[in-house]
Amino acid sequence: MLEFNFEIREIEVASLDAFLRSLERPWMQRALLAAFIVGIISAIIGVFVLLRGMVFLGEAIAHSAFAGAALGILLGINPIWPILVFGIISAVSVGYVNEKKIMRDEVIIGVFFSFFMALAILFIGLMPYYSTDVTAILFGNLLLISEQNFRILLILAALVFFTIWMIKKELYFMTFNEELAQVSGVPVRVLNYLFLILVAISIDISLRAIGAILVFAMVVTPAAAAYQWTFRLNRLILLSIIFGVFSTTFGLFLSYMIDLPSGSTSVVVVTSIFAFSFLVSPKRRFGKFAIDECVFCRDAVPMAGKCEDPDCLASELPHVHDEDRLWVKKEIFETDFRDTSHINSEKELQQ
Amino acid sequence: MIQQSRIQLDTVQESNKRSITPNNSFIRLKDVAVAYGQEVALFDISLEISPGEFIGICGPNASGKTTLLKTILGIIKPFQGIVTLFGKDVSKGGLSHADRFRIGYVPQLLNIDRNFPASVQDVILMGRYSRIGLFRRIRKEDRQKAWEAAEKVHLEDTLKRPIGHLSGGQQQKVLIAQVLAQNPEILMMDEPTSALDFKMARSVMKLLDELNRNYGLTIFTINHNIRLLREFSQRIICINKRIAFDGSPNDPVLESVVEKVFFS
Repeated sequence: MLEFNFEIREIEVASLDAFLRSLERPWMQRALLAAFIVGIISAIIGVFVLLRGMVFLGEAIAHSAFAGAALGILLGINPIWPILVFGIISAVSVGYVNEKKIMRDEVIIGVFFSFFMALAILFIGLMPYYSTDVTAILFGNLLLISEQNFRILLILAALVFFTIWMIKKELYFMTFNEELAQVSGVPVRVLNYLFLILVAISIDISLRAIGAILVFAMVVTPAAAAYQWTFRLNRLILLSIIFGVFSTTFGLFLSYMIDLPSGSTSVVVVTSIFAFSFLVSPKRRFGKFAIDECVFCRDAVPMAGKCEDPDCLASELPHVHDEDRLWVKKEIFETDFRDTSHINSEKELQQ
Repeated sequence: MIQQSRIQLDTVQESNKRSITPNNSFIRLKDVAVAYGQEVALFDISLEISPGEFIGICGPNASGKTTLLKTILGIIKPFQGIVTLFGKDVSKGGLSHADRFRIGYVPQLLNIDRNFPASVQDVILMGRYSRIGLFRRIRKEDRQKAWEAAEKVHLEDTLKRPIGHLSGGQQQKVLIAQVLAQNPEILMMDEPTSALDFKMARSVMKLLDELNRNYGLTIFTINHNIRLLREFSQRIICINKRIAFDGSPNDPVLESVVEKVFFS
């Protein structure tokens, strides 16, 4: 017989009053502001990371940043500096390999990912004693952000936010199609490296708040949840920010109330938002009841919502499009819409 | 090296080569040869393109059609010969920032994610980004230009629709509008109809013809479909690493050249 020795620590739930009182303390105000900033920056950068298909690159940056943190702790310096150096080195290296088409992205990312993890374990192994700072960086805790680290977070977050805002339209074009952007005169090469550095900085500054293991979830998941709702970039960014900020602040609240690491509570919250968004996604529901395009006219359907193409094979059939002038709902027709055999038989009858 | 890879094409019709005065030509290539490493992709290319022409480029796979287009665009540098664009030699350096806007490039049909967060208007506006410049916001004037471009390709009713929801032919027209928003003088297209069925391909070619006739736009398009090229272009250049034919679509020689280039 299998025997389970299942034991969890006793969870004490703090009172709401205690939480509200804690908001008067400087460390809690710092934590709350940091949650806001991390939520905003991760969400914005996440939108472009998601659209550009760079999800695994972020994972590699997070692990390289952890190696940097371990080195910082080993050397007794503020870990943020080696974190930034390691993060930027890994991002730029992967970018270079990608640009020169030396090998496939996933190969170099896989190599970097494991190498930096090995480095981190090596640095931890060299420490004379196990530092609690390592746990703090691995799992993250918004409540432990020092004043100095908060200042650095604020300055770097402002830098990332401002830069992304300035190059947003070019990044959008590159995300749509890099070759087109390049031919049209966008400085694709420079902006690619700049973006990689911004991704590295965003992940690095979020490390203390969310933790090396989970930091990337806060980059990808808010954007992935927002992606389920809209077809517009600005709305996508806005929704992603709302989800990101809500997750980090509510995560902080949960973390305080039940005394758990804030990184994990934030990620659980944002993943719940993603699951809900995925299940009720208007984009998916819309697609489920509709087909891509009119298989008969396969061209623009005018404002009237009815196909007016004189060459359309289905001009004699009840050929109605919905108010968006694109979708033809399957239930309009008794027959399968893609089955065009009834058109042929009608033609045969006419002949 | 060139001699070894030289394909014996005895069908170059000198009489078909157009005599265009240099002053009149937009683009001029003289004895251009391009290689990828040791492999020669193009050689002995001399041609001139004048304003307002509708030129169709044909040739089998790996015949150097895209290389020719990229050489003109300055993306690939020739190892021999001179490429002149708007009177400036671009064989060594690239296009100047100002001249870049004078040429619009439309690629093959892109594989656009149907959920990509961009409307038709957003995609057309992208064509204005280089003109607007880095760190600058989109102006009212840019939106106006985008609308005018959409109007030229008859997509003004679809501006709010997500780009991924359009049919292949419409998406290609959006990409043409994106380039038109730059106000180019030449449209260079790399097999814009390759992934489309005949009906859609014809509607795209018809649109190009309209742009050429109504707005005087110079069209330079690669297309595998000789039937469509014959119907719409004023000049056909058939290449197989070098120019095998350069002349009118009605030239009786074209048939035999195509036969030789594609099937021999």
